[in-house]
Amino acid sequence: MPREALSLGSILADARVWKLSSSFRDASAGHSPSRPVWSTGRSALDARLPGGGWPTASLIEVLLDAPGLGEVQLFLPALVQSQKVPGETPWLVWIAPPHEPFAPALAQHGIDLDRLLVVRPVSATEALWAAEQALGSGVCAAVLLWLKGTDDRWLRRLKLAAEAGGALGVLFRPERHRFESSPAALRLLLTRGNDQPRLDILKIQGGRPGPVELDCSAPVALSASISS
Amino acid sequence: MRSRVTAMADLFAAAEAPDARRPATAPSAAVSPPPPPQQETARARPRHLWYAVVFPAGPEGMNVSLERLCLHAQRFTPWVSIEPPDALLLEIRGSVKLFGSLAALHADIDAAWSALKLRAQSSTAPSTLAALWLARAGQKALIEDAGSLAGRLAKLPVACTSWDIARLSTLRTMGVSRIGELMRLPRAGIARRFGRAAVLDLDIALARQPAPRRAFAARERFRERCDFETEVETVAYVQKALDPIIERCAKFLRERQAGVQALELKLKHRTEPVTRVRLGLASVTGDPLRLADVSMQKLSRLELAAPILSMELRSGRLQPLSADSLDVFACLGGAGGRDTAPQLVERLRARLGEEAVYGICPVPEHRPEAAWQRVHALQTDAVPHAVRRNHRRADEAPDMPRPVWLLNEPARLADADIVELHRSRSMLEEGPERIESGWWDGKDVARDYYIVRQAGGARLWIFQERRSKCWYVHGVFA
Repeated sequence: MPREALSLGSILADARVWKLSSSFRDASAGHSPSRPVWSTGRSALDARLPGGGWPTASLIEVLLDAPGLGEVQLFLPALVQSQKVPGETPWLVWIAPPHEPFAPALAQHGIDLDRLLVVRPVSATEALWAAEQALGSGVCAAVLLWLKGTDDRWLRRLKLAAEAGGALGVLFRPERHRFESSPAALRLLLTRGNDQPRLDILKIQGGRPGPVELDCSAPVALSASISS
Repeated sequence: MRSRVTAMADLFAAAEAPDARRPATAPSAAVSPPPPPQQETARARPRHLWYAVVFPAGPEGMNVSLERLCLHAQRFTPWVSIEPPDALLLEIRGSVKLFGSLAALHADIDAAWSALKLRAQSSTAPSTLAALWLARAGQKALIEDAGSLAGRLAKLPVACTSWDIARLSTLRTMGVSRIGELMRLPRAGIARRFGRAAVLDLDIALARQPAPRRAFAARERFRERCDFETEVETVAYVQKALDPIIERCAKFLRERQAGVQALELKLKHRTEPVTRVRLGLASVTGDPLRLADVSMQKLSRLELAAPILSMELRSGRLQPLSADSLDVFACLGGAGGRDTAPQLVERLRARLGEEAVYGICPVPEHRPEAAWQRVHALQTDAVPHAVRRNHRRADEAPDMPRPVWLLNEPARLADADIVELHRSRSMLEEGPERIESGWWDGKDVARDYYIVRQAGGARLWIFQERRSKCWYVHGVFA
């Protein structure tokens, strides 16, 4: 009996099931209340995102022209929050990161390293396969994937897996892919700015694209996340 | 019949002393008076009859291990016990009737050793140590009667007790060379000079004290072989043939309430060497779905060097299932509840390799390159977040922020790069933080770390080597 109740709940939680009421709410309020959002830790960015944070159960694409622009730090507060959800076993999976994730830095930000998995596939196809498995498994809160390039078909599979597994999928790609079509719900472009990195929202479901004023003074965000 | 004998033997062993090879110390009293002789009952029917076999070549001189020999000996009795380094003890009271007579049984067991081309000396006596001492002395004795033990043992040299050298040389200086001479000495005196263990050994040898032994239990493993009628060239066919074997393996494990952490699949070819496929699991399990999942992932990546003649599935060591694997709420984790974390980890590992999936943890160490390490044994159990220790980071958190990416090797900045950094309005945001450590292990560092913000907004973690004054990039604040 409880088993059936669970499976019904999971069917309704599955984003592929079209629900009349929630899709109306989506259209009117701009977000679905059944999916939690995780704050980005930056009020200017939160204000621009529907629901006030990174949407879960969706794919976010970040296009970069160089590493080191604070692209991971955009997501660190959300990752910390996602691990604090009670009653779940939230794993974070980092697939093919460009360098070694530095454990003391992540611990400084408050990430639970016992629940972090680093995956080093040998090829892009393996990386995409691993990402699909992790996103769809239902045990991961967030999956971060670094890729040089991929095709539209794979991105669609990742999006479906993220929606099915309820995980936040973040794909980091080089900036040269910005003019390709992408099924991601949210596309961001992070480029070198004058003094600080520039963040542009290229595509957003239920929001307005355009540049975002980022106060990238990371130490502020850092101390906030430590005290929380 | 055999299993009942084992059960009774185990009961007996458990009742007297759970792990009794040779008890090192006697009961508590200073020197206990000799126990009342149980001659009436003992003469009529001693409870046990021990067959002892000694292999004089020793463990190095034999090409088989004592454990392997135990398996041979279990043909005659379920109660076989190892006496390291070179002897076996078999309780044969229960088997005498089956083999006709004691002499026939004794001869049968001896024949087993000669069939293996092993030189062996054997004896049978109502007590473990008596049988062992007689065998060591090279006497082929068949003693059924506890009453005649003292007379037979008296003639043996003391050396066959295999006591330690110090004790034997003291005995020699005392002029004691036979066990009979030793038995004539006062008990209190022996106990004072040689410890109570010596007295206890004599009592055990004379069947006055029980000396329970633990029965050898063979290690169990699942092993099943499948020969193909024709040579198989496709992995898909192997997978199909493997499914029922995995099903039987899971049944085997379920019957024993055990799980495994690794399976090995051997694929035999006509001429090429055997292909071995290791199926590793993230946690101990006996779940057929997980076993099949891992085998499928592994096989889907396999490229056959040659057609396969036969295959064999072997389990690793059986391990007891932990309570965590039986957690009823484990399936509720996550949104969909379809997978568990161990399943995800082992699926990734099966396809990408064991080394490609790992965790990281900080190490209390000042040098950044040594301040973290990879963790391959992942804690995949569903421990709630709050229960786990998390106070660690508070006292070890460095003052200066650390970068998310650490370069494998610090990248040397050429002079031109430094000029460029200066020219392009880069800013030193924080620093210096001096890290000077590691003189004790030869990887001595003396560095001043700075956080630098490049013109475009990228932030780097750079340091100056204090001795060479060279600049390096060591991390990126991604």
